[in-house]
Amino acid sequence: MLRRLLPLPAVFLALGMFAVPLLTPERADAHGPTRQKITLTAEVAAAPGEVWAAIGNFQDMSWHPAVHETTGDGGNEIDATRVLTLGEAGGPTISEVLYKYNSDKMTYSYRITDVKVEVLPVTNYSSHLTVKPGKNGGSLVEWRGAFYRGYPNNDPPENLNDEAAIAAVSAVYKAGLDALEARFSAN
Amino acid sequence: MRLKPASRQTRAAPVLTPGFCRTLGRPLRLRFLWLAFVTATGCLPAFAPAIAGSFAFVTNQNSSDLSVLDLVQRLELRRIPVPGKPAGVAVAPGLGAFYTVSPDSKTVRAFSLVTCEEIASVKLPGGPTGIAVDPVSNRVFVSDWYNARIFVLHGSDLKWVSELPAGSAPAGLVVSADGSWLASADRDADQVSIFDLDSMTLKARIDVGVRPFGLNLDPQGRLHVANVGTDTVTVVDPITAEVLGTVSVGARPYGVAFAGGKGFTTDQYADTVSIYSLETLEPLGKIDVGEYPEGIGTAINGELLVSTNWFSNTVSLIDPHEQVVLGEIETGDGPRAFGNFILETPTGERPCAPD
Repeated sequence: MLRRLLPLPAVFLALGMFAVPLLTPERADAHGPTRQKITLTAEVAAAPGEVWAAIGNFQDMSWHPAVHETTGDGGNEIDATRVLTLGEAGGPTISEVLYKYNSDKMTYSYRITDVKVEVLPVTNYSSHLTVKPGKNGGSLVEWRGAFYRGYPNNDPPENLNDEAAIAAVSAVYKAGLDALEARFSAN
Repeated sequence: MRLKPASRQTRAAPVLTPGFCRTLGRPLRLRFLWLAFVTATGCLPAFAPAIAGSFAFVTNQNSSDLSVLDLVQRLELRRIPVPGKPAGVAVAPGLGAFYTVSPDSKTVRAFSLVTCEEIASVKLPGGPTGIAVDPVSNRVFVSDWYNARIFVLHGSDLKWVSELPAGSAPAGLVVSADGSWLASADRDADQVSIFDLDSMTLKARIDVGVRPFGLNLDPQGRLHVANVGTDTVTVVDPITAEVLGTVSVGARPYGVAFAGGKGFTTDQYADTVSIYSLETLEPLGKIDVGEYPEGIGTAINGELLVSTNWFSNTVSLIDPHEQVVLGEIETGDGPRAFGNFILETPTGERPCAPD
């Protein structure tokens, strides 16, 4: 689903290949006036432990259909980093840092440290991924995000406004949760 | 006579008059004793003092409304529609009003504290964000995030008076208790601007940490500026323009409040309230609160801290002495409460024309 949202012109391929993880340009934290938030959940037909085993490793985002490759440092320790390559080798990237991790509670929290707004039209993005007990011994997977729109200045263009940011993040979450549902429904 | 404290207060003092909040309230423990007496005897002595009220006016940015919370009874009194994603808020008992700033619609509104009805509004250019009220001159200050300036408006009708030149991306504003100066946290300039309000001129610019956003005035008159980029609070003497110290707090500090000789910050990314000593400026610990804590204020004469949880849609009620969370009250979606959002009514008046 994410892939459909992503135009992949050569310029982004190039930017993606040469993007330096964690190098935050000055004032990358500038943002719009209203922080947005979304929560998406999915019932997954597998025990929480089983689902957490599939998605609880910060260094392995392969369960998400839009992610081609995950590389990173620091395992599941606080301040661990990862770079997600989207779509295909050389595709656009998203750099992220882990800031909370609790395997007992089956939850982790991370922030995006570097992404082009053309890839995901958000700034100051933070997110929590949690597995909770669900119905009939299954799981409830909850994915929450907090972020500002992609356009940090006043009066944003339509493709970088609040609605665009919510739509894009919702699409990413839905694609991941749909994939989990499908993966475990086959059991 | 059987009574609920709230209904008695309503009959005793239905009208909020300007300045009603200026006298000191009674200490909490005395009020508890008195409540116990009333409850036990079921009667109200004629000489009994009114029960002080304490209320929070919480802007819910994502649901575009405002929750009026009764902090003594721990319930939501009223939900008031405020279009345009409000975040900034300023309660001004001296003017009998509270003010909101909706950055999406660029609208500042004034509401009556008595009726909670809108009494004035103005649409501003740029990016109105933070708001503070001068209790002496009754002027209202609104920061313009996108144009490095501060609007000066009349408190009664929100008519434009003048503008002050801030640094880049001014956010939080605070006015001294005597109305002599105004400070703005200029986020993208990593500084605080201080303006003399008699001459309406820029008095000083002080370098603080990275990306200061929220700020507040401690009981000694010192400025505490929360720097979201460095996870610190810079303490500034607003008169001499000196930096007095820097405190390490939790990740992404947003709001600052004070009680019992301590400072408290809301740490957006840590889901904690950090505590530090106002005497030594040393960290004293942390309290777990809800998700994405934002606005924080002191209520019930320093006996209660109120912090909003932007993601959880609640406020946390914290005992600042024991440093524990006493409970929560639900709000609308996305509570911000960016500014002075607490109303104390020592003689028990209740806002919003209670029934």
